Amino acid sequence: MPAFSPINSKMLQAPVGPGRELYSRRGAMLAYVGQVYFEPTVTAGAGIGGALGRAMAGEHVPMMRVTGQGTVMFGYGGLDVTVIDLQGDTLYVEADRLLVHDASLQSGTMFLGEQGGLAGVIRGQVTGQGLFTTTLTGHGSVAVLSHGGVIELPITPQRPVHVDPQAYVAHRGNVQNRLSTSLGLRDLIGRGSGEAFQLELSGQGTVYVQASEKKI
Amino acid sequence: MTTPTYNRVSLPSNDNVNPYVFCVDLNGQWFAQKGKMIAYYGQIRFESLSAGPLDALVAANFHSPLYARDWIVAQGQGKLLLADRGFDVNSYDLTDGNLTIRAGNLLAFEPGLDLKQSIIPGFLTLIGTGRFIAASNGPVHFVEPPVRVDPQALLGWADCPSPCHHYDHSYVRGVLGTAGSLLGIRGTSGEEHQFDFTGEGTVLMQSSEVVRDTETVLRDLEGQIGMLGAGGLQRLQHFIAQRLAVERD
Amino acid sequence: MLAVDLMGETIRALNGSMVAYDGQMTFKRQGITGGEGLRGALRRRVAGEGMTLMEVTGHGTVYLAHEAAEVTLIPLQGDTLYVESESLLALDAGLRTGVQFVGLRGMSSGQGLATTKVEGHGMVAILSDGPAVALEVVPGEPLQVDPHAYVAHRGQLQQDFVTDVNWRTVLGQGSGESVQFRYQGHGVVYVQPAERGGGVLEI
Repeated sequence: MPAFSPINSKMLQAPVGPGRELYSRRGAMLAYVGQVYFEPTVTAGAGIGGALGRAMAGEHVPMMRVTGQGTVMFGYGGLDVTVIDLQGDTLYVEADRLLVHDASLQSGTMFLGEQGGLAGVIRGQVTGQGLFTTTLTGHGSVAVLSHGGVIELPITPQRPVHVDPQAYVAHRGNVQNRLSTSLGLRDLIGRGSGEAFQLELSGQGTVYVQASEKKI
Repeated sequence: MTTPTYNRVSLPSNDNVNPYVFCVDLNGQWFAQKGKMIAYYGQIRFESLSAGPLDALVAANFHSPLYARDWIVAQGQGKLLLADRGFDVNSYDLTDGNLTIRAGNLLAFEPGLDLKQSIIPGFLTLIGTGRFIAASNGPVHFVEPPVRVDPQALLGWADCPSPCHHYDHSYVRGVLGTAGSLLGIRGTSGEEHQFDFTGEGTVLMQSSEVVRDTETVLRDLEGQIGMLGAGGLQRLQHFIAQRLAVERD
Repeated sequence: MLAVDLMGETIRALNGSMVAYDGQMTFKRQGITGGEGLRGALRRRVAGEGMTLMEVTGHGTVYLAHEAAEVTLIPLQGDTLYVESESLLALDAGLRTGVQFVGLRGMSSGQGLATTKVEGHGMVAILSDGPAVALEVVPGEPLQVDPHAYVAHRGQLQQDFVTDVNWRTVLGQGSGESVQFRYQGHGVVYVQPAERGGGVLEI
């Protein structure tokens, strides 16, 4: 099964055929060859529960189902595109970062920072970050959007990684996450260094970070 | 990791300095779009197209009244650096050819080329022999017809017949099924309209940019209103009044 | 994006520019004086230029970035770099910063009236919208620059407006490049491949 093939840093190409359907962000099709159909979808393969979760999470990025026979090129708003291949594991990604993914992947929703307990939740709301993320599980490809490209940082038990919530794009692996305040900075909220809240990721896995604090 | 330092001699001659900056080795005249020069060495003057001494040059090579105010002529000797919004910049050589490109993405061209307005609004056609510089959001991707391209991802095309509009069937059905044709009915997938290319040639694509096209479309429409008589103008006025009423709701 | 390996050292970095780190790091906002003493702070107040640096100390790697901008590293060996404060991503703690008034240049490029001056021995990381191009200026070979593409400069440079007769005739007809800076002397000017908006001299 051929995966998504990158055309350049901002465009990719994906085949569509019987048994190979895609979910993509609406308006992200750049061009296509063959007979390809685009229809709006609310659930994006997540089922009603997932759709509700997405709605509760305030993630209203409209998706469409791509079917037919042909080749489709995707890209969005001149943003950088990164392809991530999943082999049975789970990718955690913010919904507004999703460009396109194989319909064979199982989609769901979870809340980042929930291991941090209630304090984590409240802090998430204080920072105004939509830290609900979409989960994609199974075998297939995912393409994510970023502002300025992403770097992959390995997470190991010896080396947890702290990420600015606004620069966080996605992560995978057996990773615990919690929102933390930087040492000694809680009293500086509002006039601080700008780094008062961080997403702490520990365990074994990979986190994808973009070169920008800009949300999409 | 420190960047190299260039001077007038070491700057490349008619080549890219990096993917986003092009250096023109000027010795004579080039047409350039306003606001795309970032720096230069040497004796270079910039003249608006209305400058008297340029009359013959403009008459010979510049045939786009719609965009005339966006362009200047750079003349003299020196190294001229061009860039545009941090987009990728490339040079293209035409030999007795023709290429049509999104108007806002054309940075500069040699007077060996003729500039004309394309039939497709917002695009310019270059005809003849010479070099031009154009910007794209991300690297340019070349595809061959048949292909259908999202209007915002279309950078231009060469040698192939002009594209036609393609609308998805569901969109056409929506227009037929309701009285919505007047009301600017919107499709639902966001992908109901493409440019359809067939025949022999090359299509140039970029990652979709937010096209600041309103101004271009307006200018195109205003240019066409001149063709209407009093009856046509009245009908247009009626149509615009209806649309305005809908937009206000 | 800039990765900085720290083993107990301190750097100064643009507020909010940390995108990730591993190891142990602390981030400390600089006082109102920004390490320049009271006189520096007063001059900034007058100039309307906010001090935007924080101190980062620790053991590990810190990743710095801002709005997907490109990062250019400039080693200073006792010379002086002039840069808009928003374009200053990080610098060695040993470098001195100060304020330089720039008169009209700041206004026309959509920046404040003052620019940041960095002096000493050490590394400076500056931000640009697309990779910066470094252009050398030598006596007898002036460089003309679009104010909106200007990022920084170093060395002994005089700056003035291009105001030849031809220029004034183009002015008013809106050539799009109607205001230019000319740099003369000995030094390097850094320009970016995109133009920031908002200047008051835009015609």
